[in-house]
Amino acid sequence: MKVRAAVRMRGGRCGTVITQPRRSSILPFFSTMGEPQSALLLRKQLAELNKNPVEGFSAGLIDDNDIFKWEVLIIGPPDTLYEGGFFKAHLIFPREYPLRPPKMKFITDIWHPNIEKNGDVCISILHEPGDDKWGYEKASERWLPVHTVETILISVISMLADPNDESPANVDAAKDWREDYNIFKKKVARCVRRSQEE
Amino acid sequence: MENNINDDNAPKTCEYDPNVNQDELIKAQEKQIAEEIKANTAMVGSLDGLSSLEEEYSNDPVYSSKVKTLLPKFSNVRRTRPDGNCFLRGFIFAYLEYCIHHRDELVRFKKYLESSKEELFEIGFPKFTTEDFHDMFMEVVSDLEGSGSIDRVEAVCNDAGTSDYLVVYLRLLISAHLQKNAEFFSFFIEGGRTVEEFCKQEVEPMYRECDHLHIVALTAAVGVGVRVMYLDRGEGDALVSHDFPEDKEPIIHLLYRPGHYDILYKA
Repeated sequence: MKVRAAVRMRGGRCGTVITQPRRSSILPFFSTMGEPQSALLLRKQLAELNKNPVEGFSAGLIDDNDIFKWEVLIIGPPDTLYEGGFFKAHLIFPREYPLRPPKMKFITDIWHPNIEKNGDVCISILHEPGDDKWGYEKASERWLPVHTVETILISVISMLADPNDESPANVDAAKDWREDYNIFKKKVARCVRRSQEE
Repeated sequence: MENNINDDNAPKTCEYDPNVNQDELIKAQEKQIAEEIKANTAMVGSLDGLSSLEEEYSNDPVYSSKVKTLLPKFSNVRRTRPDGNCFLRGFIFAYLEYCIHHRDELVRFKKYLESSKEELFEIGFPKFTTEDFHDMFMEVVSDLEGSGSIDRVEAVCNDAGTSDYLVVYLRLLISAHLQKNAEFFSFFIEGGRTVEEFCKQEVEPMYRECDHLHIVALTAAVGVGVRVMYLDRGEGDALVSHDFPEDKEPIIHLLYRPGHYDILYKA
């Protein structure tokens, strides 16, 4: 499957938390053990990722009792400035996954045009269609119900390798990246070094 | 675009305020409208007489005379939630209802569904999620094989988790059909997009409205005839109708009003 990192085009709005309606009614005869379908789907993915790990990241839960909160460790992709780094991030899934996307936040400090300074990841596939109707992301790929943890992380890893600096989430990082690449490299190298010490 | 906000707050002047993010306001209002629709309409409503349509248009001569021409042929209407998934919900409801009365069709559909999974994998859809949607669909169909009643169809199509899963899977079937026949369909896609791009933007995401292309692809993929009756301001009293695919006897009848589909029942 071809997954292209289509990165969010517009800064400043990614941090907006959109409260999503809770949906609790799952047909009793189609759920197993009272768990919503989303929990079962996440459980299956976690088991599979543990059994057959995917190159580039590892995945687990923040708290073993909560299948909706994942912790992933992303290995800085080879041949990029992030090579050698180990970046911890959280994926928080809504009860409506996979109909609605998770939110992703880096816990390890990371300097990147498309990651806010607080760690929030701004990548178009984590935004719902209709979340931005004004064309800023028209050409890029939006959230689709078929996305899995694997396809999300492949997109994020691809974003690390190939930032998008048009209206970025971290304006300072984008400025460095565009105007003073040596500074950018230095700051990223510092993040990589720190991530190894953690 | 900039002058349609706050229509109901008449005293307020709509002067441009640089400190207010207009996009955010519009977005918030749209979200609110979507929430209201969700709270006030069932995904697939109850069976209404066609007279309810007449009442709806009692003040509209064009529409009401057109609705009258529907009367001898159709007896009932079932409204769907206008959330962008209305065609697909209308389609699957009407089809499952047909299937519980035509068991041979249910058997055929089940066989088709079973084989469709591999096809979707071949297109490149991720295994986990695709399988999940597929399994849910199979469960619903198997369940109807046993107890199959209209109550059950109503319950399934109005349960958020289940109903949305069925919609997602139908979207994948449409996408797969378009991509498999990309050479043909590429001529009908606007905006210089490839078929794959069109699928990612207009077919696979939830809440995207179904257009002519979606209907052509779905009816061809599933092998089910659908007749759409178009209720609009076009000339004449008679409603224009269209059959998908053209050579197939329709078993599902849908009423189209600009931007929305409901289910029609033959008299």
